[in-house]
Amino acid sequence: MTIGSMPAPHLLPTWNRRRPADVVTTRAADLDGIVTLPIRELTPWLPEPIWAPDSRLGPTEVDEVRARTRARLDSLDWSNIKPGERVNLLANPHGFALSGMAYVAMLEEIQHHVAAATGATVRLRIAESMGHIENPDWMRIFDLERRFGDVRECPQIGQGVEIETRVGTMYLTRQLFNADHFIHTHVTEMREGYLHRMVDRLFKPFGMGYTRLETRSAYHFGYGPRTGQLVARAVFDSEFVQQRYVSTVVLNTSPEGVIDVDADNDLEKLDRRVATDIFRNYAVLIRLMCEVKDVTVVFDGHGSSVYSYAGGIPFDVLYYSNADWLDLDNPALYAVLLPESIRGLVGQYMMGENANIKAFVINYMAGGVPYMYLLKGVPTFVTSPQVMDWLEQDPSGCWIGDAAEVTDGLADAMQRARAIANSDNVIVYDGLPGAMHVSESLAQALRQAAPGVIEDVEKVRMPKWLAQRDLPSVSLSRARDA
Amino acid sequence: MAKRVTMVAEIVEDLCTGCNKCVLTCPTVAISMRPRRPDEPGPGRKIAVVQEDICYNAQNCMELCPDDAIVMRPLQEHFEVGTSTDEVSAEAIGQLCMQVGFLPDMLVCVCTDTVAGELAAAILDGAHSPEAVARRTGARTGCTEICLDPILRLLAAAGHGDAPRNPRNGYQWYGIPGRLMNFVGPDGQVDPELVQAYPHLRLQKDVNAMLFKMDEA
Repeated sequence: MTIGSMPAPHLLPTWNRRRPADVVTTRAADLDGIVTLPIRELTPWLPEPIWAPDSRLGPTEVDEVRARTRARLDSLDWSNIKPGERVNLLANPHGFALSGMAYVAMLEEIQHHVAAATGATVRLRIAESMGHIENPDWMRIFDLERRFGDVRECPQIGQGVEIETRVGTMYLTRQLFNADHFIHTHVTEMREGYLHRMVDRLFKPFGMGYTRLETRSAYHFGYGPRTGQLVARAVFDSEFVQQRYVSTVVLNTSPEGVIDVDADNDLEKLDRRVATDIFRNYAVLIRLMCEVKDVTVVFDGHGSSVYSYAGGIPFDVLYYSNADWLDLDNPALYAVLLPESIRGLVGQYMMGENANIKAFVINYMAGGVPYMYLLKGVPTFVTSPQVMDWLEQDPSGCWIGDAAEVTDGLADAMQRARAIANSDNVIVYDGLPGAMHVSESLAQALRQAAPGVIEDVEKVRMPKWLAQRDLPSVSLSRARDA
Repeated sequence: MAKRVTMVAEIVEDLCTGCNKCVLTCPTVAISMRPRRPDEPGPGRKIAVVQEDICYNAQNCMELCPDDAIVMRPLQEHFEVGTSTDEVSAEAIGQLCMQVGFLPDMLVCVCTDTVAGELAAAILDGAHSPEAVARRTGARTGCTEICLDPILRLLAAAGHGDAPRNPRNGYQWYGIPGRLMNFVGPDGQVDPELVQAYPHLRLQKDVNAMLFKMDEA
């Protein structure tokens, strides 16, 4: 499919009533020299999506998503749920952000099916996280109260519930679990891969998204670089959760959109089933980010720093690309938590602080997520006083005014960043799915690098990654030939 | 470092129902309740009140308010809060940090750029609760999340693990979660039962990494 030039996704009103579209009038995608590089050109074996956020990438109707969801739900065991009981349908904002109406449709089908099959009341509960108030207001944008009736946004700062787990006491968000049962939903995209390391991928919200502040903090500080997921497993395996857990339903995604709906009562089985798809659809792109050299990174969308996306791939992949974090033999430590006093001893094991990022341009970026550590030592330009004001007002980034300079618009910022980078390489994190907005030079570099990366992944890295996880083999060539 | 405070919470008194949720979530305990006077129209018998000099723009109150009764007002004059470590010896700071396995220059509050040593200094200098640490250092008034476990552990190591929650039923913090090092013996070996329970996780190797024994990680 030839998708041609694609515009940047629209900027939406945020929960805290900001209207960035009124302020950000020039988008990086519209600048001369920025081109649309289709992900499929780099990884042509991607399955055709059953739903895509843009008609140039695939169907935008959700009929197939609904049909597959119903088919999957039919095969699950709902017998634990009795008439009159309450069931919390757990959702997350990333589903709305990345899979939009497909995620809404999947949730609607689950609610209707479970209510009809069991006679229970099914309530939508959205597990909120950092950045909630600066993100698009999904409740209004998708009219969730009209669609679902009883809907609550459940922030991690709210009332908690203390539970006992195999690794000690943990604290969950009470509102998410104040029901007889719950259904877990997810999307399989590769956000925070450097944290979960593709180990127990679908369990992760039990260590983060569904938990309170204390547990999330411990995930970062109380466990090693490959074992934060122990929190997720211990919480999921706890008596409190197991007494309530019913099933999991996921949108299986690719960088272009949704490729399937899958579901199971057995989360471990489901996790293993989707894991090979994740490796097939994302691994080459993850490694390809290692080939991005001397680049200016432009934030121009609703994501906040590490959670900003380009072509369906989050910025954290580029930031942490100096370590192969899919390799479980690699004990890479997070640069941000590595004190200067110890760097001489273990600095070679550091993950993050990608030296190929030469400059940042912030045309628009949501706050709410800590990001100042990303900018350390990297020249940063903010393209308008209003966006700078918003960034300075963000509780997580109060020092941005000292670290960044306001420029005379986007073109000025780009010119200055390129001069510092001494390179024309630009990548734009504007949330465009299925394709990246990059400079012509970077598009060319990625096209040239792709065959070598594919060969390296297919012949060297992928067999090791899969063997480390006891997963069946994945052949990109066979997938391409199929 | 410290926190630069750029906004302050403002109560929309006509909308405030006095539900108290803002009081329960503010990390610096900057909000309290007062009775609504007979001449003040509004939906509740109480109204939230913000003590502006200790409102550090965490915005948790606005997020939790069910009635849109809190807005954040930009401050004309920003102010900075933070702590000096001059009053506490480097040795004492180092000892407290090492009790919980941190180097003093380890970054803990990534929003305010506050390191473990600065938190330890504040605790040793009289900040004996998470709220007091937040007020003194500015830490935990950004995302309010990432630094919480280290702050609770530093407080416990300094003998203040029994600090009462303020208010008693507040959501600011609950307790110290379990951690991997709780399952490591004096010989540096992970509890075999835990290893057996999760054989696919590289628990021993990660403990070695956490101890910076990278050759064995």
